[in-house]
Amino acid sequence: MTELPRKTFCGRTRREFLWESGAGFTSLGLTGMLSNSGFFDSNVRADEPTFVNPLAPKEPHHPAKAKSVIFLFMYGGPSHMDTFDYKPELYKLDGQTIAVKTKGRGGSKDKGRVVGPKWNFKQYGQSGQWVSELFPHLSNHVDDIAFIKSMTADSPIHGSAMLMMNSGKLLSGSPCLGSWANYGLGSVNENLPGFVVMLDPKGGPISGAKNWSSGYMPASYAGTIMKSQGPPLIDLKFPDGTSPEMRRLLLDKLRESNEEHHATRKDMHDLAARISSYELAFKMQTSAPEAVDLSQETQATLDMYGIGKQRTDDFGRRCLITRRLVERGVRFIQLYSGGAHNDDNWDAHGDLKKNHEYHAGNTDLPIAGLMQDLKERGLLDSTLIIWGGEFGRQPTAEYAEGTGRDHNSYGFTMWMAGGGIRGGQSVGTTDELGGAAVENPFHVKNLHATVLWQMGMDPNRLSYFYSGLEQKLVGVEPIEPIRQII
Amino acid sequence: MNFCNFFYLFFWLGLASFAAAQDEAPLDFARHVQPILAMKCARCHGPSSTSGGIAFDTRDRAFAETESGRPAIVVGDPEASSMIERIVSHDESTRMPPEGKPLTAAEVEIVKTWIRQGANWSKHWAYRPLVKPPIPPVNQKAWVANEVDQFILAGLEESQLTPNPIADKRTLVRRAYYNLTGLPPTAAQVTDFENDSSADAWEKLVDRLLESPQYGEHWGRKWLDVVRYAETNSFERDNPKPHVWRYRDYVIRSFNDDKPYDRFLTEQLAGDEAPSPTSDQLIATGFYRLGVWDDEPADRVLAMYEGYDDLITTIGQGMLGLTFNCARCHDHKIDPIPQTDYYQLLTFLRNIRPMSGGGPNVEANLFASEQSKREYEAAVRDRQEQMDVVKKEIARLEEIFTTVTTNEPNKEEQKKGGRNYLTQQIKKRGLEVLGEDEFAKYEAASKMLGELQKEPPVDKALVVKELGIEKPADVFVLKRGTPGNHGALVEPGFPHLFAVPAPTVQPVAEQNSSGRRTALANWITSQDNLLTARVFVNRVWQGHFGRGIVRSSNNFGGLGTPPTHPELLDWLASDFMANGWKIKRLHKMLMLSSAYRMSSNGQEAAIAKDPANDRFWRVDLRRLSAEEIRDSLLAVNGRLNLELYGPSIYPTIAAEVMAGQSEPGRGWGKSSPTEQARRSVYIHVKRSLITPLLASFDFPETDTSCEARFSTTQPGQSFAMLNGQFANEQAAEFAKRITNQVGPTNRDAQIQLAYQLCLNRAVRESELTRAKEFLSEMEQKHQLSPERALEQCCLLILNLNEFVYLD
Repeated sequence: MTELPRKTFCGRTRREFLWESGAGFTSLGLTGMLSNSGFFDSNVRADEPTFVNPLAPKEPHHPAKAKSVIFLFMYGGPSHMDTFDYKPELYKLDGQTIAVKTKGRGGSKDKGRVVGPKWNFKQYGQSGQWVSELFPHLSNHVDDIAFIKSMTADSPIHGSAMLMMNSGKLLSGSPCLGSWANYGLGSVNENLPGFVVMLDPKGGPISGAKNWSSGYMPASYAGTIMKSQGPPLIDLKFPDGTSPEMRRLLLDKLRESNEEHHATRKDMHDLAARISSYELAFKMQTSAPEAVDLSQETQATLDMYGIGKQRTDDFGRRCLITRRLVERGVRFIQLYSGGAHNDDNWDAHGDLKKNHEYHAGNTDLPIAGLMQDLKERGLLDSTLIIWGGEFGRQPTAEYAEGTGRDHNSYGFTMWMAGGGIRGGQSVGTTDELGGAAVENPFHVKNLHATVLWQMGMDPNRLSYFYSGLEQKLVGVEPIEPIRQII
Repeated sequence: MNFCNFFYLFFWLGLASFAAAQDEAPLDFARHVQPILAMKCARCHGPSSTSGGIAFDTRDRAFAETESGRPAIVVGDPEASSMIERIVSHDESTRMPPEGKPLTAAEVEIVKTWIRQGANWSKHWAYRPLVKPPIPPVNQKAWVANEVDQFILAGLEESQLTPNPIADKRTLVRRAYYNLTGLPPTAAQVTDFENDSSADAWEKLVDRLLESPQYGEHWGRKWLDVVRYAETNSFERDNPKPHVWRYRDYVIRSFNDDKPYDRFLTEQLAGDEAPSPTSDQLIATGFYRLGVWDDEPADRVLAMYEGYDDLITTIGQGMLGLTFNCARCHDHKIDPIPQTDYYQLLTFLRNIRPMSGGGPNVEANLFASEQSKREYEAAVRDRQEQMDVVKKEIARLEEIFTTVTTNEPNKEEQKKGGRNYLTQQIKKRGLEVLGEDEFAKYEAASKMLGELQKEPPVDKALVVKELGIEKPADVFVLKRGTPGNHGALVEPGFPHLFAVPAPTVQPVAEQNSSGRRTALANWITSQDNLLTARVFVNRVWQGHFGRGIVRSSNNFGGLGTPPTHPELLDWLASDFMANGWKIKRLHKMLMLSSAYRMSSNGQEAAIAKDPANDRFWRVDLRRLSAEEIRDSLLAVNGRLNLELYGPSIYPTIAAEVMAGQSEPGRGWGKSSPTEQARRSVYIHVKRSLITPLLASFDFPETDTSCEARFSTTQPGQSFAMLNGQFANEQAAEFAKRITNQVGPTNRDAQIQLAYQLCLNRAVRESELTRAKEFLSEMEQKHQLSPERALEQCCLLILNLNEFVYLD
């Protein structure tokens, strides 16, 4: 409990927050005014507005390496032994039934038919990292990438595993990584949301909005869905028949009336906050479309992301928008590769080859383009990229026939790049079949701890008082970041 | 400038001067000192850990000699107290606390002052016996309307604050309507009250509103927040919970019927164990089924304990105001709740049949009367008998079929395929093998069987059921909370801080139930329970005054916020129990007080002295809740459908929001426009798809108990209210209503009416002028038709702060 950060907003409990903000804090930012009936609604001084903006920029615990985070979520669970975790033994065993303990959608098993990896591996870069043929473009960037090949999670079932990867808990109701980042650091751009989620055109992931929920924190910290085509935010567009000038007129008159109402209630700052939030929303109607407007980008840039090519157009657009959001100070951006169910995402239960060639093919060039573009613009150093799914896949087949693999939370690969991560290395290993992590196993919590750490926050100190506890993203027990890669 | 430092400077100055001022007046241990000890010290020096031989959870342990030989506290002498030395130390290696933020200068000052003043110690306020305190004397007797005011005024006079004057009648009538029903009054209702000059006009209004069925809808929703009510399971499929809306209706009905709170709780905790339980008693136990439930858990045993934890958390915080959940893995760090208390509580729940998606383990049939129950049972028996006859006939014909075909080569297949195979074969070849007559008989019998297998229609509820009356499975303390890591065996018993003997549990043969939950309910609703009444009257207070007497209404423990008016809280709790736990009586008492009727105006002096309104010198302005906003939009345009109760409704959700689901549209039904115009409390609560307008105005998180809603202000709300389809539709409807009433041309009358409907007051001259300017500019400059211009004007009015904030 006493592990509270010094001189920062984020370590304060709600009660301290209330207590202190009562002493008079004038924030200029206004992305989301927070008051809680019963907690915050009376933080007032006689003379001046006292806005308590939960998204105002806050000091980190220690100097941050990463200002923004991009989480490339490969929903469904990519196969590690077909992508980055090279298992030469596995090719030879193809088709043989061997003793191996697995646990997945199909339950716990003691043996299974090996599916040999379907792609060849080669070493790339000066560091000689192994990458399969699935990623011909990304393989050029391995010297910037740290592969964590011994990831483990607590559930091999999509629903709970997604919650675990996003919120650190198997049960729903807790804030997501992006919420914690915004809670801890605030946002430097008040004209855009601090936690953006961009979904696959196939649909959302299982459990939908639970994956970007702010849980027990206020809604100000929840992820905002942003679209790459059409109006980027929900309800952002003026209704048909409303012009910007008409809206301006309405807002002017609204403000006049609201100010008249406020004049006799000067000490009630929620009223001022709401007046300002209408202006902010109006500004966002320009700033949000501008952020997703790719018309100013050069053809070379568009090509770098694969925009205009049928397979890579969608993910490429979302990656390029992501770069634009990073440039505009958005704190946390999550991109989903894959949506809905079955082969619409990386969940290759049937035909592994078809599935992974499809999803890797859609994303390889855009991700490589994003890395290159960020690097060329000098943004990669301050932008942390995470790649991975909610779990990996088993070395053995799920069904009597076919190449599909079942889920595997005992061992899988994720990678990180930029944002102070030491690239060109792999940490941890799985066994020779890729069935389970053996050397330096890292839990999802270690990954989360690493992200917070790189953003300048101590994962064991960043807490939010709720339900009688100082809740932390990484849980009660102290969790180490993955020191080997930072 | 660094905001945080700025912040701290203010904070430091404020509290330091506060502490200095307290030199004469003794500090209140519970209010000022204990929170600091709990926050800063108790993790290592508390009930679960006595590092260095010192702990600040009881007086004896705090004053004991430490392992170093020096007492932590020397009464009257802060300089000699080693505790002070340690907390002010500049040496990080010796300074307390060893990790995290040190005590602020102001906090150190408070501890010092407290020691200097004699270090008086009292038991944590919430664990003290509940004794009805005397009513304090006051000077300004004219202000006092009832006992509540005596307590409030005594506090104000002590702080030399003046209560705000009573608000005007229009403010009061709006406050009363919103507060009791969640809806605005109509123009006529306002006029009625304004014109009623009788002395008891206010009382009559409160009485009338308490009798309106909309009261139960509004206050029932508050209880639904506490019990984390939702209608789906969360997780991958987020499937609907069968019949769960009946629980919502039960809650609404209970409030409307003024069901005593002790009975309300007993029904939810153990209604099924009552002799011949009524439908409501069964429905109430749906309480146990409201939480999140993973139908495909990674670890079944762990998932089972997560389910218990969810219940212990909800019962603990929701009914008892304590965080027993913190003692799942180890002794509570702050409160005197050892880990054994947690597992003793778990024994009461151990025998519950696990949740499932439906079926007899979680569903019960409901009957209006014994008569209808008997009729239903007779119908089931009848069906059974008929079924026996039909089955015999089918068996006879199958026999013939198999005898004829027995020598055919596919015999093996037939064996393997079992009945299904046989049925298929008969369907295919029955005519040929059995002949026309017999085959016709077979077909008729099969069809009949299908019909008979359907259950006779009956209402069902989602309920709790137990595994049987045999002794439930053993419960062990789980070391570190890990299933399988057994510690001591525990038996049913109550948390030891309550100091009550373990119950005698009587199994309930009629319901095949252990009777343990009845024992739990009896204890929770006992007049002697320290906390049940305190926690609930505090919630009711919060519902009227915007915040509880204890602000942390789910946590009355050491890390909660101490009550601003402890005596008032105890007085209310005692009075509540002594008068049969009647909730409407409590509402009325609070609302008839002068304290409730004050205006929300700011007084400069009071704001300077008590900015947080801790002393209740005014009524706080409040933003309407998500439901109140949506319902008000419908109410002012005259479309609100006040139909009560029944299965949930589905407002239209934009496709772009649905796109966030893995199967867009899954689990979301379609309701007619009339249905969609019903009150928000009837909207289907799908955990992974909360209705966007409600979500943006801080609908509570559905997965854990919500003690108080947030009240955020964010641009998304403006988008919804200005660009959203719902808001624009309501504005158009509003314009239509106005035109219908006063015609299409008279702008003055239109604007007058709009203000009257929306804000329950006459439009001011400046507002009228502004609105007319707006209308003409919309028509002339922006070429809008008069109708469209009026719609825009209506949209504007619906977005006024005055519409969304209540004085």
